Amino acid sequence: MYEEFRAIGRDILLSGLISSHGGNMSVRVGDRIVITRRGSMLGRLTERDIIETSLEHDDSEVALASTEIVVHRAIYAKTNGLAIVHTHSPHSVLRSMIEDEIVPIDSEASYLLHKVPVYSLPRTAGSSEVAETVSAALQEYKCVLLRGHGPFAIGTVLEEGFQWVSCLEMACKILNLRDSVGAECKEYREHGGEYGKW
Amino acid sequence: MHGYTGRILHVDLGSRAWRVDDLQPEIARDYLGGRGLGARILSDMMAPGTDPLSPEAPLIFATGPLTGTKAPTSGRFSLSGRSPLTGTILDTNCGGALGARLKGAGYDALVLTGAASEPTVLRVDEDGVAFESAGELAGCEVGEVTGALTGGRASTSAAVIGSAGERLVKLATIMVDAKRALGRGGMGAVMGSKRLKAVVVTGSGRPSVARPEDLEFFLYEVDKAIAANPVTSTVLPRFGTGMLVGVLGTRGLMPALNYRSDGRDYVEKLSGERLAEEFLVRRSGCWGCAIACGRQTRTAGGEGHGPEYETIWALGANLGIDELEQVVELNYLCNELGLDTISVGGTLAAAIELAEDGAPLPIKRGDFASVRAAIEALAHREGEMGEAAADGALALCEAYGRPDVAMQVKGLELPEYDPRGMQGQGLGYATSNRGGCHLRGNMLGFEVLGTPKLVDRSVVGGKAGLLIVAQHLGAALDSLSLCKFSSFALNEEHYARLYSAITGFDLSGQELLVCGERIWNLERVFNLSAGFTGAEDRLPTRLVEEPNAEGDVVHLEEMLSEYYRFRGWTPEGVPTPDKLARLGLYGS
Repeated sequence: MYEEFRAIGRDILLSGLISSHGGNMSVRVGDRIVITRRGSMLGRLTERDIIETSLEHDDSEVALASTEIVVHRAIYAKTNGLAIVHTHSPHSVLRSMIEDEIVPIDSEASYLLHKVPVYSLPRTAGSSEVAETVSAALQEYKCVLLRGHGPFAIGTVLEEGFQWVSCLEMACKILNLRDSVGAECKEYREHGGEYGKW
Repeated sequence: MHGYTGRILHVDLGSRAWRVDDLQPEIARDYLGGRGLGARILSDMMAPGTDPLSPEAPLIFATGPLTGTKAPTSGRFSLSGRSPLTGTILDTNCGGALGARLKGAGYDALVLTGAASEPTVLRVDEDGVAFESAGELAGCEVGEVTGALTGGRASTSAAVIGSAGERLVKLATIMVDAKRALGRGGMGAVMGSKRLKAVVVTGSGRPSVARPEDLEFFLYEVDKAIAANPVTSTVLPRFGTGMLVGVLGTRGLMPALNYRSDGRDYVEKLSGERLAEEFLVRRSGCWGCAIACGRQTRTAGGEGHGPEYETIWALGANLGIDELEQVVELNYLCNELGLDTISVGGTLAAAIELAEDGAPLPIKRGDFASVRAAIEALAHREGEMGEAAADGALALCEAYGRPDVAMQVKGLELPEYDPRGMQGQGLGYATSNRGGCHLRGNMLGFEVLGTPKLVDRSVVGGKAGLLIVAQHLGAALDSLSLCKFSSFALNEEHYARLYSAITGFDLSGQELLVCGERIWNLERVFNLSAGFTGAEDRLPTRLVEEPNAEGDVVHLEEMLSEYYRFRGWTPEGVPTPDKLARLGLYGS
């Protein structure tokens, strides 16, 4: 399992989805949660950066776990997700401060994500409000975005969660590029105006 | 109600009385339909210890909320009851068009109880039911009976048993329109015990849709995903499920000869590609299906439906037969007699092993003639071997003092994914609520095909969680009722949106999986009440002690304890009161 954390963490950094010490990941293993260490560098994870603790109950290991463990636990409690990826993807963060939902215009994200909702909370990291809001939203969507903070995504394995946040980031980058170019894009999709329904 | 008809038809075959009850909306929301609705009705109506071949035992045909709609692969329905082969709760899911016809006649489900006084045909349409004597059709086989009952009738489908079901053979199927099988667990014998030769359904109505505009968009997205996925758009349509002969066989995952060796040597001769090249007449799809994995085939001896991968393996590699034409003809024979090809193959493979170990059984590996004779003897309960084999592999092997030779779980013969190379599939076999089955938590996607993601199939840790997701999604799909093959391209989000648009009941993807979990736990509770314990969550000794060609065995114990913890069950495999309460099952 360490190898999976190490490889995905490295990919997340190289994809530009986090700063040096940003983001976190976890995997649910039965009634346990395996989560990245608070302050760890996802791009340079070692075995000591992988913390195992209870899915529901605090123990001493929680002292080492990511600040966001409360959010991860709430997500596992409300969804069937087996892995969670959270990043601070720059284009996604910018877009989250412009719109209330991300409706991609590119083909890949239209196909995979359809729509990603944006939630605005004053305390953005590790709060019970974030835990409640994000976990409820992930019952409906595989990937959701916290305004000014970044996306949370669930999957069956870490790779899947990484795919959702990566796909969202590309979609937001394209939207931001469109806005910066200032050109009006031509619709090429059937039902292109309906992705907001998702 | 949208999507549903809101009506459940109850028929007592003994008194010939019938009535229509309302489907309660909260039951629909919690159990969806199909398998889930069947499990709920069965749990409410039947004491778990009831003899499955007694008149009191219900037999439940249940459609799902998506059955008969424009959702792809939505022609399906489930049949639920207690299996005479395993003693477990059992549902068997079927394609074809009967599900859409039943919904079209105005019923979400048909619940049969009692037993007729003579062989009977039950006709169901929008006006209710009619009882007819089976007359000269009694004792006839599936093709003839189906033709006589459905020929020339529009919007009509028939569920028919052959002579195996009439003789209460515990491997008997119910054949739908002579093509599709309610295959596993011996439900043909339950129908035979009720002296019910056939159920004929006529119906052409379509369920209403709550949000048609939303549905059109969601269908567009769903169709796009199915068209984009190579499994659903290319391989299954071209080669049928027989494509798995190559996919699994070349990876050492298709066993042979009762799991005594691997099936690599059979791949070239029994492949789906070869079936398509030499025997395929045309592709055949169920109602509302764009995938069309079914095979209409022809040999020198005639024309028929199939075989699918499971049958190619069960009647081919598992019996040492490497002539595909012979396999196709044995499949036709089983379809005609109304027999489950997987269980027949598993039982006869055990018979061959017993014979090779010295038992006086008239069957040899690779010998078409002796296998064909054994199938006919089994279907007619003729001779010492036919009588013993009619009750399945475990009964046969126990009769010869070698229960270890039977490759089964909870009495149901194993299918054809060698779990020594797919650890998660091994756990799936052991924990399946209906016994040795690959469809009650299929790990093919995770461990071989990479849908949604590929994981190491030899790894043990973490497989419990993945299997549980697969089990819940499978239960939900069987309840909606959609074909599991759609899940190679779609996920729970797609299904939840289709359901919500059709029914108007808002349901998220995660809530859909919770419905699956509720159904899974209800089935578990039924089995525990019927006397099963965690001790039956086991695999044959061969799979945990005798290595495959790669030197692997199934590490079941490690996965099983993780599985129980993950589920919130006790170490003995019993759902806790807290778990049941969370699922709204406390008191079940």
